[in-house]
Amino acid sequence: MVAGVTTPRKRRSFGALWRRAPMSLRIGSVILLLQFLIAATGPFWAPYGPAQIQTGVPLSGMSWQHPFGVDQLGRDVFSRAVYGGHIVILLSLSGTFLGLVIGAIVGLFSGYVGGWVDEVLQRLLEAMISIPFLVLALIAIVAVGPALSGNPILLVLIVALIYSPRIARMARAAALDIVTRDFVTVARLRGESAWSVMKRELLPNATSVLLVEFALRAGYAPILIGSLGFLGFGLRPPTPEWGLMMSENRSLIIFSPMTVLGPGLMLASLVVGLNLFTEGFARILGRTVRLGDK
Amino acid sequence: MTVLRLVITRILLSVLTLLIVSIAIFAIIEVLPGDVATRMLGRDATPAAIAVFREKMHLNDPAVVRYVHWLGGILHGDFGQALTSSRPIADILAPRIFNTLLLSIYAFLIYLPLALIPALVQASHRDRQVDHVISVINLVFLSTPDFLLGTVLLLAFTVALPLFPAVSMLDDNSSALEYLRAMTLPAVTLAIAMAIAAVRMLRDNLIEVLDSDYVRMAELKGLPRHAVLLRHALPNALVPTLNITAINLGYLVGGVVIVEKVYSYPGFGRLMIDALQLRDVPLIEATVLIASTVYVGANMLADVGAILLNPRLRKG
Repeated sequence: MVAGVTTPRKRRSFGALWRRAPMSLRIGSVILLLQFLIAATGPFWAPYGPAQIQTGVPLSGMSWQHPFGVDQLGRDVFSRAVYGGHIVILLSLSGTFLGLVIGAIVGLFSGYVGGWVDEVLQRLLEAMISIPFLVLALIAIVAVGPALSGNPILLVLIVALIYSPRIARMARAAALDIVTRDFVTVARLRGESAWSVMKRELLPNATSVLLVEFALRAGYAPILIGSLGFLGFGLRPPTPEWGLMMSENRSLIIFSPMTVLGPGLMLASLVVGLNLFTEGFARILGRTVRLGDK
Repeated sequence: MTVLRLVITRILLSVLTLLIVSIAIFAIIEVLPGDVATRMLGRDATPAAIAVFREKMHLNDPAVVRYVHWLGGILHGDFGQALTSSRPIADILAPRIFNTLLLSIYAFLIYLPLALIPALVQASHRDRQVDHVISVINLVFLSTPDFLLGTVLLLAFTVALPLFPAVSMLDDNSSALEYLRAMTLPAVTLAIAMAIAAVRMLRDNLIEVLDSDYVRMAELKGLPRHAVLLRHALPNALVPTLNITAINLGYLVGGVVIVEKVYSYPGFGRLMIDALQLRDVPLIEATVLIASTVYVGANMLADVGAILLNPRLRKG
């Protein structure tokens, strides 16, 4: 087997499983649960609306009414940060998932067929990875033009564009390892189509690689989206996206630091949760994961 | 001979990759979506203005002709003319690249101890309290976006503790000291961002080496701990770390975009962002191609270095 999956699948209570899980997975899960809870329920309890103006005095700094302060338009930064959660989480996960699907198909196919098709695909993927990811994201956004810029769908596609070649490379490596096995040869000799071999033989055996890869990339996606927002190429105002909020409030930083640091802390804690989860999750699957491989 | 062959193959592959990259950049920006002239001038532009623009930019030539013309120019050091400035792109690029190069070297010098010291401490105290604490700190930094890290440092050292200027104003007349002051915070930000991934990898490599027989041998010989660590373990752990350093060099190319924006540092990254914002197509193409070349070059050097440093390939 490729993965060292825990073989005897006995029913264990959640508590027992929880205690056996790596510490990083436990802490990561708690942080993620909190973030998801805030993202899902925030709109019901946030003190103000995300676009509500004149909630307080701009530049007044942090207070109990405004834990993250008030921005230049008088909007409550804490409420906006709370509203921003579901946007960041949804875009990150859907973009990474799309990248996973495309990457897995391309990678498994490339590894399975081999030959010159594989060679050509590898060169193309290599070229895509050779453009620094932030730069690739930026030129893709500019190339699409002003009509679509700021569109959430575009951001999902950009995340997928950045991650699919990287995921494809991992999927191909896994496929190369699997295609040498007897069961693949048998399936091929049975006369099964390439698609069917990929789906029924390669994919199930590459699952753990792909899951870890998904978790790893999903952990960095919020930073990618935030970076684009911060540079002014991501979501458009008045969307309460954290990176965009940080860039909007930059001029207030001296008077009201939390207007910038608050959204930043939301973003960083989400990514800390995702990374801790990924590390523990990879350990359970018996894989090493190179966090920080952007 | 095998070594030489491997090295040459690797270099040729990099050149091929760069060629594909140049085609991709050209295609993404000029061929794929709609008309460059309409995109540049906006939808309200008159047909006459568009016609003049198309003529000026040679947009009426076929894409292949334009690509060959463009690439040919670049190979001769001619990046063409920027749309938003009357100066040739090469003249615009030169001072910006100089500033970013200085910044990168400065960052790299800070990066080395920042990566080495925590990794050495971790490896020599493996699975003890210090090791875990550094791991946790590392993970937190790893999860911090560069623009947040930059903002926190900016806040700490220009507002709370005013040691450095908040905005980097540099020109030809700036003294070396002004340069140093302006560059310190951006360089530290870049160095921390680069060191984080390296610390993790270096720690794991060091521990692997520390488990090997020859290190045990050195210990049994009675060598002091630091001698074992620095003279026997470290050199062997550095080879795999070369790879991550190259990735870091590549990261630097993207990182300067964010960091130079945070600190308003007049470098290459900010030039690229400005070009993108102004939709200055020739300038975008030039900056993106340079960024990719640095990235590909860094990775190539790392691979060539790994080939040359691998003793198993030396004979045969």
